[in-house]
Amino acid sequence: MNAKELCGVANAKLDAFVTWTALDRSNLSDGRKLAVNYFIVAVILFFAQLLFGMIAATQFIFPNFLYGFLDFSVNRMVHINAMVVWMLYGFIGCTYWLLEDESQTEIVGLKFGKLAFWVLTIAVAIVVLVYLFIQIGAGNDTTLWLINEGREYIEAPRWADIGIVAVVLTFFYNVVATFSKGKWSGIAGVLTLDLVALAGLYLAGMFYMTNITHEQFWWWWVIHLWVEATWEVLVGVIMAWSLMKLLGVRRKIVTTWLYIEVALMFGSGILGLGHHYFWIGTPEYWLTIGGFFSALEPIPLVAMVVHAVYDSGSHAFKNGNHPALAWVIAHAFGNFFGAGVWGFMHTLPQINLYTHGTQWSASHGHLAFFGAYATINIAFFYLAIQHWRGDVWMSGNAQNAWRWKWALGLLNVGVVGMTIALLIAGYEQSFIERAVEGSTWSGYFTAQNHPSFQSAMVWRWFFGLMTFAGLILLIWDLLTIGKGETRKMAIVVAERGAGCVSFLSECDHTH
Amino acid sequence: MIQPVAMQDFFITFFSSALIILAGASYALLFAWSKVNENFRIKIASYVSYIVLIIAVVLLTRAANFTGYWLSLSVVMVVGYFFAPIGIWHLCVKTHVETSTTLEEKL
Repeated sequence: MNAKELCGVANAKLDAFVTWTALDRSNLSDGRKLAVNYFIVAVILFFAQLLFGMIAATQFIFPNFLYGFLDFSVNRMVHINAMVVWMLYGFIGCTYWLLEDESQTEIVGLKFGKLAFWVLTIAVAIVVLVYLFIQIGAGNDTTLWLINEGREYIEAPRWADIGIVAVVLTFFYNVVATFSKGKWSGIAGVLTLDLVALAGLYLAGMFYMTNITHEQFWWWWVIHLWVEATWEVLVGVIMAWSLMKLLGVRRKIVTTWLYIEVALMFGSGILGLGHHYFWIGTPEYWLTIGGFFSALEPIPLVAMVVHAVYDSGSHAFKNGNHPALAWVIAHAFGNFFGAGVWGFMHTLPQINLYTHGTQWSASHGHLAFFGAYATINIAFFYLAIQHWRGDVWMSGNAQNAWRWKWALGLLNVGVVGMTIALLIAGYEQSFIERAVEGSTWSGYFTAQNHPSFQSAMVWRWFFGLMTFAGLILLIWDLLTIGKGETRKMAIVVAERGAGCVSFLSECDHTH
Repeated sequence: MIQPVAMQDFFITFFSSALIILAGASYALLFAWSKVNENFRIKIASYVSYIVLIIAVVLLTRAANFTGYWLSLSVVMVVGYFFAPIGIWHLCVKTHVETSTTLEEKL
């Protein structure tokens, strides 16, 4: 079979697949078609994240597995990079999705947005292929520009860094120009300012410094402020819009709370960055700043609890997209436990001295990233797929609803199981490697070979597999949910006497 | 200057830190619920949660060797977690005051 025949077969398979999904793109505006492109790549990268995570988890148990062919360092790098990039794709997609609705006009410069999407996607593919084909070798100026910049979590080479900033600036242009042409709102204002930070803060990780402390100081700006601050605000914007559409919450309420979130972020979140400056050679006052402001970081989560109870007592909310709402609830719990409880458990410098960089950090990272970011992206995927299907009814009693319920269960139980397993491993490491053995090389191996660490790694693998199974089920569900459903969501909800109808404005609140 | 946690206090440090957040959230949840549902027992349960929070703060203060200005963090947590839910509740009430029922206001 030659290349032309191969392309023909591939096209035929793709057409058959598109027919099987029965998803009608004519239900989408041009802006939302672009958003869907971002969502598709996000899901593919989500799959890659879990695949490489599973390989890395296997190598913890069998260190010789794929050694010399696909090394642990590369698997771990692709695992984490894929996570960062799929979430970024998800957030950009969410923004394109809500942009036309929020601004009440068509997206300005959409062709640049489409071009940026393909530039970013091709760049991501090239970067990953280079990671896989050139795994080891000496680092120099050339490799820094073309292969790997060498900074943990943001290893993308310099050319790709510049590309990311260019794409974010194009995205920024789309957003600002569209709101300028259409209607401005509180959500639009917060989103615009956040995108300035999203593009600007990434620059902090793009210059090379010979002093490791200086290097780490700025590197954390990208990791902490970019990921934890600008993303948090972006999630706040997405949640604000989603709550209006999903539960019919009034604009004034979500906008006010969005402002409160931004204020809390400035009040506690930014200086909470200090807990990453404890052990990198920065002045001692960072111990105090990081410790104090980290203790304040859970306050927004407490606010969330109070507000949730207030709303449950004041409204009789109904909605027509149960999987999306279930994932929003998972987001609330995941964010609270992953970021709040798991974060504060080891954030004060008196204990962080022993836990920093152990599997304890990985335990916190797994639950916090999943709870704070993955869940809200998945909720939005369900919102998007519902609209793509023509706003059909998506309930917990619908045919094949078991798929989204099982996907929800497997993914959540899988991530929580991994979190517990890593917590046990981290506890053992901080105790034996750090406290007893004093962070020595032999202490590292003693901890790694300890039975509790090794059994924790087996349990992590098992729960990782459960998470992977959940993702496969989730993808299957996203491709098929609502297929064959003819009842319109608005009609079904209205017939059931809902106080508030998702995606509709005719919400009758009782206070 | 900090005094690192002693090895025998590792568990109590992790446990009390987690308990502060959980008891703080539990207090907030029950406080808000007692406002929604006028029930004296719920209010009592919220104060029990707050007492658990105080105990957790005391345990953490001792285990993490808080001295000098670090003690102010304990005070901030005890005072802050008590008043935060009250303040947030008032914010909820104020931000949900129905000023208009027009369609334009809702969207």
